[in-house]
Order: sequence, then C-alpha cells, then structure tokens
Amino acid sequence: MADESKRPTIIVTGAGSGIGYETAISFAAREVHVLCWDVDPGRLAAAQSRHLAFDEVDVRDGTRMLELVEKAEGAGHRIDGLVCCAAIFRRVPFLQLDEETFDAHMAINLEGTFLACQAVLPVMRRRRAGSIVVFSSSIARSGSTAGGHYAATKGGLLGLMRSLALEVAADGIRVNAISPGVTDTPQPRGHSTEEQLYAKAKDIPLGRIGAARDMAQAVEFLLGPLSGYVTGQDIRVNGGSQLI
Amino acid sequence: MKTVLITGAGSGIGAATARQLSRSWRVVLADRDRDRVETVAEALRAEGHAATAVAVDVTLAASVTEMMRQISRDIGLIHSLFSNAGIGLDRTVEETTPAQWRAVLDVHVKGAFLTTKAVLPQMMERRSGSIVMMGSDYSVKGMKAGAAYAAAKSAIYSLAKSVAMEFAAFNIRCNCVGPGPIETPLLRAGRDDQHWEEWKARRAAQVPMGRLGTPEDVAGVVEFLLGDDSAYITGQIIHPNGGQISW
Repeated sequence: MADESKRPTIIVTGAGSGIGYETAISFAAREVHVLCWDVDPGRLAAAQSRHLAFDEVDVRDGTRMLELVEKAEGAGHRIDGLVCCAAIFRRVPFLQLDEETFDAHMAINLEGTFLACQAVLPVMRRRRAGSIVVFSSSIARSGSTAGGHYAATKGGLLGLMRSLALEVAADGIRVNAISPGVTDTPQPRGHSTEEQLYAKAKDIPLGRIGAARDMAQAVEFLLGPLSGYVTGQDIRVNGGSQLI
Repeated sequence: MKTVLITGAGSGIGAATARQLSRSWRVVLADRDRDRVETVAEALRAEGHAATAVAVDVTLAASVTEMMRQISRDIGLIHSLFSNAGIGLDRTVEETTPAQWRAVLDVHVKGAFLTTKAVLPQMMERRSGSIVMMGSDYSVKGMKAGAAYAAAKSAIYSLAKSVAMEFAAFNIRCNCVGPGPIETPLLRAGRDDQHWEEWKARRAAQVPMGRLGTPEDVAGVVEFLLGDDSAYITGQIIHPNGGQISW
C-alpha cells in the first residue's frame, strides 16, 4: 500500500489551461504536490503555489513521460494519481478533414492518454495503489458537427479506460473517466463567442454551462477515498443535458 | 447543519451511510422496523451525532405523509434524501408470483416515488436539494433469477432521470448510486456461515478488484452525490462495483 514517507503527488496532463489548470490548482490548494505537464505553462506561469511544478511535456512523447515519473519517484514523490486532460479540438467539416489533422487529434487525445497511463503504471503497480482519470466528453456519445475526429478520440478513450480498468484492478489501481458537457474553457471559446457559449445554458436542465471547477471536483472524488470501489466508470458532469 | 433523510436506514447500506453522513449532516433514519432503526440512531447519538429515528412504510402514502409531519414537527427541513429502502427476491420469472412481484416493485419504485414526492415541495420552495436513489448494477443489466429486482432497479434509474429533468430548474438534483456486490444482510440472506464464506470467495473472484464492496464503499458515493462537490451532476448513476460493469 501507500508509502507514507513519500510526498503525495498527482500528475496532470494539459495542466496549462482549462480543466487541467483548475484541477492542478485545486489539488495544490489542498497541499497535494502536482506535476503539471503541458506543451506550454499557460496560466500556470502566474500561479503562486509551492505545490505546483511545471514540466514541458508533449504527451506524444512516452519516453519523456516515463523518465519524468521515474525522476519524481527518485525525488521522493509518491504518484497517487494521474489526470489526463491534454487534448486538442480543431473544428473541421468531415469532407475537409485532412489526414494530418485527424492524426494529430488521435495522437494527442487518445494515444497521448495511452502513453501517459503507460508511464505511471509501473510505479502504481509497484505500490499496488493509484487512481487514473481520463477526460472523455459528452461528444463521445452525441457526436459533433465538424468534430467527428474529436468524437472518435473521446469515444476511444472510453474503450481504453474500461479495458485498462479491468487490466489493473487486481493491482489496486482504479481507472475512470469524466465526460464533461459544455464547459467554460479556452477550448469552446476557440470557436464560440461568449454569447454563443452561454446561450447553450438554455438547453441544459440545470440552467448553466459547466465550469472547470465542476470537473475538478469530480476529479477530487475519483482520486479520493470516497470512490474506493469505483472503477471502469464514466462520470458525466453535464448538468443533466444527456441522460442516456 | 443540513439534514438528510435516509430510508431503509435500519441496516446494511442505509445504516452505514447514516453513520458516514452523520459526521457532517443531521441524519433522519427511517425504516419499517422502528426498534431496529432506533438502535442505529441511538448508537450515533451516543457518539455525539445528531440522529433521529422515524418509522415508515414507504409503500403507503399515508405512512410517508405521517413521517414527514413528524419530521417537520420535531426536526425541521429536509435538505437531501437518500431513498434506499429495498428488499431482495431470488426467483426466476416462472417462480415469481404476482404478489411477490408487486411487493418488490412497491418497496423500491413506489417507495422512491412517494418519498421523493414528499420532500420535493420544500426543496422547490428553497430552490435547492439533492436526492440520491438506490439503484444497482442491475439498473443497467439483466439478473438471472432476479427479474423483479432488476426491473425495480431499472425503474428507479429511469425515475431518477425523469426527476432530474423535471426539477433541475429548481436547482434540485437527482442521481442514482448503483452498487455491485456489497456485503450486506440482503446479499447474505439465506446462507449459513460456511456457505456464505464459500459464496463470497467465489463471487469476489469474479470482480476485477478482487473483493466484494463494503457498505462504506457505497456510502462514499452517496456522500459525493448528496454534497456540493457534485453540483453539476444530475440524472446520472455511479456504480461502486469494483469494475464489474463498465458502460
């Protein structure tokens, strides 16, 4: 079980913005050390916390992630959790979608998550403890106009999550997903005006779009003791907008 | 301090949830068996927690109304509800009598309906509330020799989704917890010690996490769903099931 002499630590990919950033700062506020991985520090550059440590990481580079995990272990960190937020979403109508764009989404969103999981599993397996959260999306079920490539990656993440959950359950490692609905992050703001984004609230039963904080709270649940018998699940944090 | 009403609180998951929630909530424990639920409440009070026992038959509207009158008089507002009362039935479809069928559906589904309906007016007035209904893995899968139970649990999940949609505008959330195999009196019923240990080992081996769940495993999910950390989650089911069903 957990080595209490080591420093409780989680890793967040895509930690420079959006849900990844919110997750990182919420754990840091609870004095959990957070290894923040992203291609750019983004909002982390202005964050003031001794519990946040940034490393420039492209999740397509599995070797680098493995090295960073080993280095962290060697420096006295106990990797309790991995939160996979790194993703891209460039809206392109299907017939205009080129191979390069398709490949980039698959490589970052799906394969990047796969590689990040591979990087932490050896240390979690050794300790027979750990919790992994991957970020899918309501789009995995609903599909998305001009977003088939993104939907495919988010659907694929659910298959990866369920399979990995089965594979590592006996090692005391839990793996779950969160599927946000429309959430106020830089990602939808990249292709919607603020007015368009907030107008979506009228179609959501709880009457508001999601906040990154809503997702971070779900991560806290899935990485924490209240979810000790929960694995292989997809928690849909969507204000009741997709009850299937 | 907020108050949560828990039905079926006299044993098993209901009692464990009451114990867990009593650390930060005032708990009202309801059960058909007055003596049994009073014993649980008394134990919580002895530990310094705010706990009150009430007797109710959740299948009878008049009984639920009387319970609410008593709570209103003696305790005050109910902020959250964990609708947990349930009974088991291991019978094939051919063996199940109409009376058995009705008994199972009444406790689970009608009980959830009546109890939820009873707490909604005050939640609507305050425009705030959280309801958790006791579903099961069988809310989303079939159960060999358990059609009545599975039908009841599926019905509860559908009821929860509909309540979620209907009352979201009042900032009232409604979700299900859907446990897998949990060590409770319900699961153990009818098995002697030796048979139970053998059965438990066999069943645990089928669960990816290699163990049966505990009532506390379920209580943790209920605590999350009742609390503010799940403020944007409604109409959902979370399965503490050790990974035995993912969907």
